[in-house]
Amino acid sequence: MDILPYGPKLSKKVDMSAVLPFVILPLLLVIATISRSVTIVVMIFIGMGAMYAQSRPRQKNRSQFFYSWTLSSGVCMFLVFELGVLRLLEITQLENLVFLLLLASTCYFFYKMRAVADFELSTGNSKGKEYSPVLTSDSYYCQICQLEVNERFFHSIWWDCCVLRPNYSYFLAGQVFAFATLLYGTNLGLTTVCQPFIFYETILMPEDCTDVYYDFNLAICFVACVYGLGYVLVTTLVLIRQLLIYIPKYSEPKWRKIVNVLTV
Amino acid sequence: MRHYALKKKVLYCGVVIVILIILLHPDRNARRSYSYIAKENILNSLRQEIANNFSTTALADCDYYDVIHDDTTLPLSIAEGDLVENHRIREGGEYAPVECRPRFSTAIIVPYRDTAEQLRGFLVFMHMFLRRQHIHYRIYVVEQVDSRPFNRAKLINIGSLAAMRAGFPCLVLHDVDLLPLKLANIYACTEQPRHMSCSINKYRFVLPYLNLFDGAVSISSKQFKLVNGMSNKYFGWGGDDDDLYTRLEAHCIEMSRFEPSTSQYHMVPHEGQQKRPKKSELLANAKERMSSDGLNSLKYTEVATVLHPLFTHIMVDL
Repeated sequence: MDILPYGPKLSKKVDMSAVLPFVILPLLLVIATISRSVTIVVMIFIGMGAMYAQSRPRQKNRSQFFYSWTLSSGVCMFLVFELGVLRLLEITQLENLVFLLLLASTCYFFYKMRAVADFELSTGNSKGKEYSPVLTSDSYYCQICQLEVNERFFHSIWWDCCVLRPNYSYFLAGQVFAFATLLYGTNLGLTTVCQPFIFYETILMPEDCTDVYYDFNLAICFVACVYGLGYVLVTTLVLIRQLLIYIPKYSEPKWRKIVNVLTV
Repeated sequence: MRHYALKKKVLYCGVVIVILIILLHPDRNARRSYSYIAKENILNSLRQEIANNFSTTALADCDYYDVIHDDTTLPLSIAEGDLVENHRIREGGEYAPVECRPRFSTAIIVPYRDTAEQLRGFLVFMHMFLRRQHIHYRIYVVEQVDSRPFNRAKLINIGSLAAMRAGFPCLVLHDVDLLPLKLANIYACTEQPRHMSCSINKYRFVLPYLNLFDGAVSISSKQFKLVNGMSNKYFGWGGDDDDLYTRLEAHCIEMSRFEPSTSQYHMVPHEGQQKRPKKSELLANAKERMSSDGLNSLKYTEVATVLHPLFTHIMVDL
């Protein structure tokens, strides 16, 4: 009943900034299939845009645009893999299944992360328990979530939600699975469209990608894989950051407990 | 109420299963495994036939057990190097071992056009490879000299006719950009036609589809004659291999393969290479054309046949 109550009105309500990524990104990827230099330019353009968005003050990035961008990237890369790469008949069913399982886990963890954040936002449990009512030097007030966020945790514009103590583990698991999915998917895609070689007698790695621009299907697969590799880089950086800053802080009390037990 | 919840659950499960089936693409999956002739059965499944006019002074028969159980992978650098000294390859690219009497005679037929540097590498590699298999062989390179689109199948027909006239009982139809990597992949005919290149590096060492019969294929001359060779009508890339498979299928001839690790090939990259050619509409009535289109309807002008030191060069105008 309430899915499509008043068709025309609903479309007016839709936030333009939430729809734009679903138009811009596919367009950029298609443009990038023209030639090698265009691909490089488009990728640098996207990277600079992301860096600009990241460097802006947090309060300004309230729009849905960034979350939509993440979703659009995922959907685009997924569609290219399922419709483009598989059409070349070089992916076995097992490889496809492993890819789908990894992807499903990634989606599950990020969905959980957002669901937990929403729950926290509505009930506000974490406000009383985890955070002091007074802003300490370690904390700041997140305008978007309207929550006080500890420095250990943060607001992610790309997921449009606050990463707090309750959903931190989901965030971390999501990143790890996203990293694995992207790495596996891009490896499958690139070894399909490029000339592969065997790396240390076990792993197939892409080697020679010179002749991908002759055919649109090959080119779009290649471009999507390059874009995916960009995401691999981003997730790697995020994971390294977590390893260096957040995990030591987060697990400090636990470590102390263990050390205490040992010393006693 | 509970009934309703159950219905919902069933519905969700159904949706998930349908999505999974759609995403797993039952129709477009490559294979890494397939049925093949086990290593210990290879020797029994080979056709022991020698060319009619071949004679040798050697007394002992060659032994192929070591060849088939040899696990060495040949380095690709062979193709860039030179042939060994004193290789005893006769004019026209023919070779037979002198120390023993070979049990297999094979004609390797290579359709070719334009890529001279690639051909050189191919010939050096193949001679170095085949010499070690102790078989009697000869390499025929059939070149299309006119400017029409490349017709791989017709060139193969021309080459195989020449090979059959020379008395070869076994044909290997071979693309010039494929190099066999495993010594155990013996270049002789099995009882059934054999798809030799089922694990190519370019295709991620998988078999794109089960009925693929392309790249390097071995077939006995008798069987090739029986199916009336290949079709002469496939100008441009693609389809001719599926056409040949259809012909074999119509004659109830099954194909065989060796295990994936033995069937490894390296595809030499070259410019403008088509990854997967489109299916031709000629394929639709391949079975009807079978008896009228092939070896018996072959028409061409032979420009020259030259015996080079490493190969027999047949130049034709289609």
